[in-house]
Amino acid sequence: MSLRTWLSRCAAHFRRRSLDEDLDAELRSHIDLATEENMKRGMTALQARTAALREFGGVTQARESYRMQRGLPFIDQLVRDLRFGIRQLRGAPGFTATAILTLALGLGANTAVFSLINALLLRPLPVPHAEALALLHNDRDDDSGRRMPGPNLSFCAPMFRALEKRHDVFDGVAAFAGTMLQVRGGSGNVEIRGAEVSGQFFSELEVPALKGRVLTPQDDQPGGGSTGFGVVISEGFWRTWFNSAPDVVGRRLTIANAPFTIVGVMPRSFIGADPTRRPEIYVPLEAEPVIDAPYNAIAGGYRSWWLRVIARRKAGVSLEQANAALRAASNPILDEAVPDASWIKEARDHKFHFAAEPGSRGYSYLRQVFSKPLTAVFLLCGAMLLLACLNLASLLMARAAARERELATRLALGATRGRLIRQLLVESLLIAVLGTAAGMVAAPAVSQSLAAMVVANNRSATLDAMPDLRVFLFAAIVAVVAAVLIGLIPALRATSGNLNDQIKCGSHTTSAREKRSLLPRMLMGIEVALALMLVAGAGLLATSLSRLYRTGLGFDPQGVVNLGLDMDKQSLEGDALLRWYREFGEAMGHLPGVRNVTFAAITPIQGGVWINNLHSTVSNGDREIYCNGVAPDYFKTMRIPLFAGRDFLWSDTPSSGSKIILNETAAKYLFPGRNAIGQHVAGYKDAAYEVIGVVGDTRYTSIRDSAPAEGYFPITQGSEKKASYTTVVRIDGPAAPMAAAVRALTARMAPDIPAPTMTTLNSDIDESISSERMMAMLAVFFAGCALLVTAIGLYGTLAYATARRTSEIGIRMALGAHRTQVVAMVFRENAWIAAGGSLAGLLAALLASRALASFLYNISPRDPWVLAESVLALIFVASAASLLPALRAARIEPMQALRTE
Amino acid sequence: MGDSKPDVLQGTLDLMVLKTLESMGSLHGYGIARRIEQVGGNGLSMNQGTIYPALLRLLQRGWIKAEWGVSESNRRAKFYSLTRMGRKRIESETENWERIAATMARFLAPSN
Repeated sequence: MSLRTWLSRCAAHFRRRSLDEDLDAELRSHIDLATEENMKRGMTALQARTAALREFGGVTQARESYRMQRGLPFIDQLVRDLRFGIRQLRGAPGFTATAILTLALGLGANTAVFSLINALLLRPLPVPHAEALALLHNDRDDDSGRRMPGPNLSFCAPMFRALEKRHDVFDGVAAFAGTMLQVRGGSGNVEIRGAEVSGQFFSELEVPALKGRVLTPQDDQPGGGSTGFGVVISEGFWRTWFNSAPDVVGRRLTIANAPFTIVGVMPRSFIGADPTRRPEIYVPLEAEPVIDAPYNAIAGGYRSWWLRVIARRKAGVSLEQANAALRAASNPILDEAVPDASWIKEARDHKFHFAAEPGSRGYSYLRQVFSKPLTAVFLLCGAMLLLACLNLASLLMARAAARERELATRLALGATRGRLIRQLLVESLLIAVLGTAAGMVAAPAVSQSLAAMVVANNRSATLDAMPDLRVFLFAAIVAVVAAVLIGLIPALRATSGNLNDQIKCGSHTTSAREKRSLLPRMLMGIEVALALMLVAGAGLLATSLSRLYRTGLGFDPQGVVNLGLDMDKQSLEGDALLRWYREFGEAMGHLPGVRNVTFAAITPIQGGVWINNLHSTVSNGDREIYCNGVAPDYFKTMRIPLFAGRDFLWSDTPSSGSKIILNETAAKYLFPGRNAIGQHVAGYKDAAYEVIGVVGDTRYTSIRDSAPAEGYFPITQGSEKKASYTTVVRIDGPAAPMAAAVRALTARMAPDIPAPTMTTLNSDIDESISSERMMAMLAVFFAGCALLVTAIGLYGTLAYATARRTSEIGIRMALGAHRTQVVAMVFRENAWIAAGGSLAGLLAALLASRALASFLYNISPRDPWVLAESVLALIFVASAASLLPALRAARIEPMQALRTE
Repeated sequence: MGDSKPDVLQGTLDLMVLKTLESMGSLHGYGIARRIEQVGGNGLSMNQGTIYPALLRLLQRGWIKAEWGVSESNRRAKFYSLTRMGRKRIESETENWERIAATMARFLAPSN
């Protein structure tokens, strides 16, 4: 059809009424002219008119085909179907509300989880030609010659600098490292999210600065450019910190007590190369000795693996070609970057080589942690949505059954089957659109709170889960699929079959219906099976989580608050710093509600690890011991039992001989079968430590892993000059009111350090299992929804079916059936569905158990109690859903029921 | 509609209308229908009503235009006439039709 015709049709669509009048007038004039001519030939008026009409053919047909040709008949019909559909839905508000709510739930949950997946796993970096980016990694085989699992994305500075120079396959090679920067603000130092980036970082990502300029290789030199180190700040930082001052470029910023010059502001769309970090300040890589002082990862050389490397492939260079080039460059770079021949030999023996993987989405640590749980949650959501659709299909089918005669009549009056199916589909599409709309309204809030759960208390991470075009597209596709899924089966079924039968039968006969009601029963059965799987999965995940919490931690987290102190940038060190700690601890002890105060290098579960190889005369060589540095009273504060010996004292100074306290496992490891107290252990270079105490085992990095062998050193004998310890405080009552007092105390006693980060040990534990918590919470939520939806579905279909059997039940009762028999008969319908569905669901759950096993701790995926409880829950729900229809059936008065038909 | 009389092919009717308007100038729907019946003679049978969808099709393509006027017997009627574009199209449409007719003729000719 040509464009002109289309336009004409569209125009005509909106002027239907006047065009109709015009056509009628024209046809009338045609008949009149013809009649007139016929009369001239001598016919009577009546004969002339009859002849004219005969010549013309069917006036109505001509008008209809003219109309079809004129406007947009498809649209006309659609509008008519929509109006009819809306009337139908308004006529059954209960059904409509249930349907929309169910669908909104399923769709909303799916969209919310998808936007999270989109934000974390799918969305490319907002930079030009992100598809050309590649993340570099290095691989090596393990001792048995197998490839080490998972790519190692960490690089050391010398290797990166060697890679950076090569431009054979890459336009740019850039390194970056996320870090928290101590920035001087109005009241002392503040921690700001930052990133150290190499010289080619900005030119490679191809995003120009909003103001000023980006950092270049000239900035990335030891000591910075000609005017010292330059930094680039984010648009957000410019806005909040400088109030969008137009002259911000050239201003000074004091980071880690050193001067930096702002050279540029990046636009808001630029988020760096890690979508979950979004730095506020970008500093040159070579500023590492300044901002990380007293540490220096650059000086660490090939022993410090702290960088991520992202590269941009040259146009026309494939990932395979890049990989081949990297592999070929691996050996020369090893020689260039590593000054240690034995290290190089070991690396070559293990086939050390560089490689590249697609890097359009940048790098995120959260991705590694959450991609599996999120995929699992997405599957849960999918199951939930499928369940909602099945439920609606069953309900629509039950409704369609009630409308059988209406549809049969319309078929008999000449409507085509396609026309009726289209009409029924429009109805389900209406439900789907309304449900989607309701779900979409709720989705952003849900996905934001999910994102908050993923990021948890991690100060250095953010996650933007706002829906974008991809999310809307996803929602639209799901909505349409859902509409077809819920509408097509009922529509096909309702319009099939012999219409004569349907018109004749009404609700009297049972024979045909018995056979035809197998399909809805099967749908409901599948729904029950799905619900059972969701409930069983949720039960397993929740049980696993609660057992995780109940496993012996070895310490009592209730009431313990951790205050992280950053002491590495202030002026005190050594003994003076130790004295400061002691005074700070005493001052803390005088705050109201504080019971015990102590210090620790590593607090449990927060993720820090310190491992030493220790041995004793009877230990058969080195043993791997997890270590910690603690102040006196640590065990009292944490409520770790002291089994033998004594605690550390402030008087345990280096001159009084090196001391160590072991936990039970370490004591057994190092001194099997004998008393450890008073014995000596030896470590690096045979430094000897006297064992003065044995304490209980505790979990170290993770509550998922059992307690390791652990040794405690006194901080009073530590060698680090500016050690940052965490203040561990046991308090009575809530932690929040204490925050202000702690802040004031720190500001008074150490004005140079950033405000301490305060977390409760309980929240640290929660955060350490955030993915398990997220999964369990969502699974329980979905399982609850699944039960509710299934109950509604079972009730709805049974209520319809029973209503249609009113006269049959009336006859049965008239023939002497007892009311209890009627109740049993109605109950039986759902009982069969529940039993069959549960059996199928149970089988499916057992088959899927292996997939679930990797998410479970301390529980088998085939735990009989959880499975049995899930089946019971569904049987309970099915019974509850059957109660009302059964009671209603029992109250049927036989005479009345027989008279109605 | 009689069984023996062939139905009018869709494209054919359009060209008949165009040719009629070319030779007769401005004409109303009834006039066009009558003219086609007269020229077509007994070989052609059609319901006069089918002329209207054809007229609409040509209007939509912009080949003809329509305006209300008064007939010779003083009746209000809608008069159709060729547009400039329609006049140009007649030529190509005629060629087109002749080509089809010639092709058909070759098929229908007794094989020798």
